[in-house]
Order: sequence, then C-alpha cells, then structure tokens
Amino acid sequence: MRFGGLTAVRSVDFTVNAGEIVGLIGPNGAGKTTFFNCLTGLYVPTEGTVSYQGTVLPPKPHLVTKAGIARTFQNIRLFANMTVLENVLVGRHTRTKEGLWSALLRGPGFKRAEKASEERAMELLEFIGLAHKRDHLARNLPYGEQRKLEIARALASEPGLLLLDEPTAGMNPQETRATEELVFAIRDKGIAVLVIEHDMRFIFNLCDRVAVLVQGEKLVEGTSDVVQADERVVAAYLGEPFEPTPEDTQPAAEAESTTSTKGEAQ
Amino acid sequence: MNTLPQQLANGLLLGSMYGLIAIGYTMVYGIVQLINFAHGEIFMTGAFGALTVYAYILPDGTSMVVAVPLMLIGGGIVSVLVAVGAERFAYRPLRQAPRLAPLITAIGLSLALQEVVRNFYPGADKDRSFPSLDGSHDIGSVTITDADIFLVVAAIVCMSGLAWFVRKSRTGRAMQATAQDPDTSQLMGIDTNRIIVIAFAIGGFFAAVAAVSYGLKYGNIGYRMGFLMGLKAFTAAVMGGIGNIYGAMLGGVVLGVAETLASAYINHIPGMQQLGGSGWANVWAFCLLILVLLFRPQGLLGERVADRA
Repeated sequence: MRFGGLTAVRSVDFTVNAGEIVGLIGPNGAGKTTFFNCLTGLYVPTEGTVSYQGTVLPPKPHLVTKAGIARTFQNIRLFANMTVLENVLVGRHTRTKEGLWSALLRGPGFKRAEKASEERAMELLEFIGLAHKRDHLARNLPYGEQRKLEIARALASEPGLLLLDEPTAGMNPQETRATEELVFAIRDKGIAVLVIEHDMRFIFNLCDRVAVLVQGEKLVEGTSDVVQADERVVAAYLGEPFEPTPEDTQPAAEAESTTSTKGEAQ
Repeated sequence: MNTLPQQLANGLLLGSMYGLIAIGYTMVYGIVQLINFAHGEIFMTGAFGALTVYAYILPDGTSMVVAVPLMLIGGGIVSVLVAVGAERFAYRPLRQAPRLAPLITAIGLSLALQEVVRNFYPGADKDRSFPSLDGSHDIGSVTITDADIFLVVAAIVCMSGLAWFVRKSRTGRAMQATAQDPDTSQLMGIDTNRIIVIAFAIGGFFAAVAAVSYGLKYGNIGYRMGFLMGLKAFTAAVMGGIGNIYGAMLGGVVLGVAETLASAYINHIPGMQQLGGSGWANVWAFCLLILVLLFRPQGLLGERVADRA
C-alpha cells in the first residue's frame, strides 16, 4: 500500500486460522491500522490481494463485511445518535434481507424477520452485558461500554474473522481484563481474532501468535515467547527489554499519538 | 365575514406542497451533504410526466378517478428517473470533488432540465393546461376543492409512510447510519451507493406527488414552475432544519401558513397598506427565513440530528 511516495505497508503476508487469536504490534506509524484498512477494503492495496477462506475479496467494504470480516475502530465510531439496539441491528445489515416491497407492505415475513433479527441482537447484547441498556443512545454510554458495544456491533454481522483495532485504548486495568475475557469468549465461539494493541501484557496474555510490524514490514511472527525474546523487536519497538511492570500506564498516551501518525500516512 | 379559517386552510395546503418537495432536499442533504438545486426541476419534470400520461397515453374522456393514479405513476416514474439519473451521472462522479463542484453542477443541471423541457416538450414554451380537479366542498366557512383533498391525503400518506420507513425498516436504519457515518456504514455491510440512490428516488417520488397536486390545483404547468417552488421548498427545508425529515414538513407548513396570512392580513396593519397582497408573499416568506435563522441557525428542529436521513 503506497500513499504517493510513501510506502505504508509492504509485502505483509499474514494468515489467521479459525479459533485463533493473533496479535499485531508495532511502533506508531508501523502501518497496523493501514493494514486493517486494506483488509477491510477501505483502502485499495497498490499491490496484492486479500483473500478470505480461499476467495479473493473485492476492495469494497460492504462486500468484505458480507464475506465475513468485521472490525472495530481505534477511535470509537458508533452511530452516536442511535440506540444501543439500533447500533447492533445496523451491524446485522448483511445478515438480514428485506425487499423494498415487503418492507412497504409489512407482510408477515417482514415482521418475522425483524423479530428474529432483534432477538439475535439482544443475545449479543446479553453476551457483552449491555442488554439492560438497549434503549439508551450510544453517545450516552460510558467509554468502556461504547467499546464493548462496538465489538457487539461487529459481531452482529456474524463474522468468521474479527479485527480489533486497539480495543483497550484508554481503558483502566479492570476494563482491560474484562475485555481480555470477552475476546477469549469470542474465540471460543470459533471466530478468528486479529487484534492490534499497544498494551503488551494484554497482547502476550491473549494471543496464540504475535506478529510485529515495523515500518510497514513484518519483522517476526511467532508465539509470545519467541517475539519477546527477539532482539530486533526489542530494539525496534520496545527500546529496552520488556518488563511487565510500569509500562502499563503507557498505552493511553501512545494511542493518542497514533492518530497523528495516521494523518501522516494519508 | 371571517376569512381566517379559509386563509389558514390555504396556508396549510400550500405548506404541504412545500413540505413534500422539501423532503427531497433534506434527505439528499442528510446523506451526502449536497444541496440538490435541480430538485425544483425534478418536481417540474414530474408534472410533465403526469401530463404526458393524461394528454398522450390515456384516451380522451377518461374519468379522473382512473386518470389521477395513473398520472401519479407516470409523474413518479419520470421524476424518479431524472433524480436517480442526476445522481448517477452528475453527482456520483463528483462525490470526492470539492463541495462547490457538485453545487455548480446542480445549478447547471437545473437550467439544462428547464431548457430540455421548454425545447422538446410539445407546447411547453408557454404554460400548458393540466386537468384540474375543481369540484368544491364547503366545510363551515372554508371551501376546499377535490385537488386540495388529494393533496392533503397524499401528503399525510407519504409523510407517515416515510417516517415509518426511516425509523423502523432495515433500509431506513441503513439510511440513518449512512447519514451519520458513511465509512463505518460501509463496514457494517451497507452498500452506501444504493442508499444514496434510494434517497434520491424517494425525494423524486415525493416531488412528483407534489407536482401532480400542483397541476390538479392550479390547472396549468410550465417549464419554469420548478424554480420558485424549489426555492420555497428549499427555504422550508432550511427553516425546519435541513437533514431532518420532520423539519422539512414542519418548515413547509410554517412557511405556507406564514406566507398566506402575511399576504392576506398585513395590509390591515396601519401604515403597511402597500405591503399586502400576493405580490409580497415571497418577501414575507424570506423575511421569515431570515428571522428563524437569526434565532435558530440550525433550523426549527435542527438539533435532532438523530433523525437526519
């Protein structure tokens, strides 16, 4: 993926298998979010393809979602003026069908489909623990719950692969742990998860495999131990040997600065 | 004799017509932030579409009960085709262009449509007569015609249908989502191009309904009819809070009533004898717009961003 003369992501080969949690880490500006944007069709890759379950995906976001890839965003992008339930229902768009006429005439089939869809949405809200807030406007939810709702909305499209872009950015340790459990629960549903995160403890606890992206290229990929032991990673990304003690406070600050990196990439 | 009830009724009727057209401005603006200045001409082509059905397709002497629905369909088809065609060939290629480009395109398209109708539609260089529905009914001191009844019924059916569609149906939800955040909506699996086409089509159809009402009420149509009606409807949309469908209807009614009452009564105020009459109606309409925008720049219902769609 190139933006003018700047190559943001170059030859990143990547496979995520079903029921697996894979982490994607890298310093700010490494191209992690750009990589996600390529996967989901927001950017058209200059070269290369994205394939899902053996078929090459067209670079059209709505078709990518239909194929079974869903994502959340680094900065929350809920439909702020819709209710919690409506947000999830929008997420179900590709999994529901409705002809213009059946909607206008409100036939029995339409009502049944609508009801089934709502039930499914409520199940998801129960899964993430927001069922009691179904009629609240999304913008009135506390920050942590907005993040959860984003995940629920992504799950609503019944994906096979879920992309999480910094799901714990700005969360306190307690919320981070809750998110960890949520991601495990999602994995247990048989969904493959690819997660970008700056919180190293979170990543190394969670992921079966971790890949490191540096300046748009994949440096290493392997289990937590392999990645943590790799000196190039330490040099490029951590700067010093990883110690899971005081760095926990860093992610919030780093998350802020990635926004400016994105601007630079464009 | 007390003329107030009659004037109020006239205002409401005019206002419903403005409101129906205003929907087209407001839906398109809500979704693509484009002011479709050619919408007045979409209204005008709808009237000519309906006239075509009546004058060239139906046999002479067809009863109006049969003719009106068919004219509605004919006008609707023409307006929707023009609206969707404008989106596809004029606005979509400019979606990423600076905001001024589509605006200028809209104005150009508006002139082009007027000239096409004037030059190619038989007899359209002058006003053409349109079949009117003028059977009248007296309700108390108010007299209304069949055309008025048609307009009121059509406006109520269209508006309540649209309100339901946007709030409750899957496509309506997708429209709200697209209005709030098109990129995210795409990632939710919504084909935003399709949603935009639907918004243009609904606006076009509503314009055609207004156009048929206009013809039935006034008995003639012309290639320039879209200009002032479009401008007024745009005013109504802005006054109600552009992007908000309820605002468009409210703005239309407020504008219609204010305009009618002002032209009927303002000359009774001492010292303003010269300022009454229909010649001044537009002046008062736009004065009202300026006043509303001074005190509520977002329009009457502008804060309810939730319903922009």
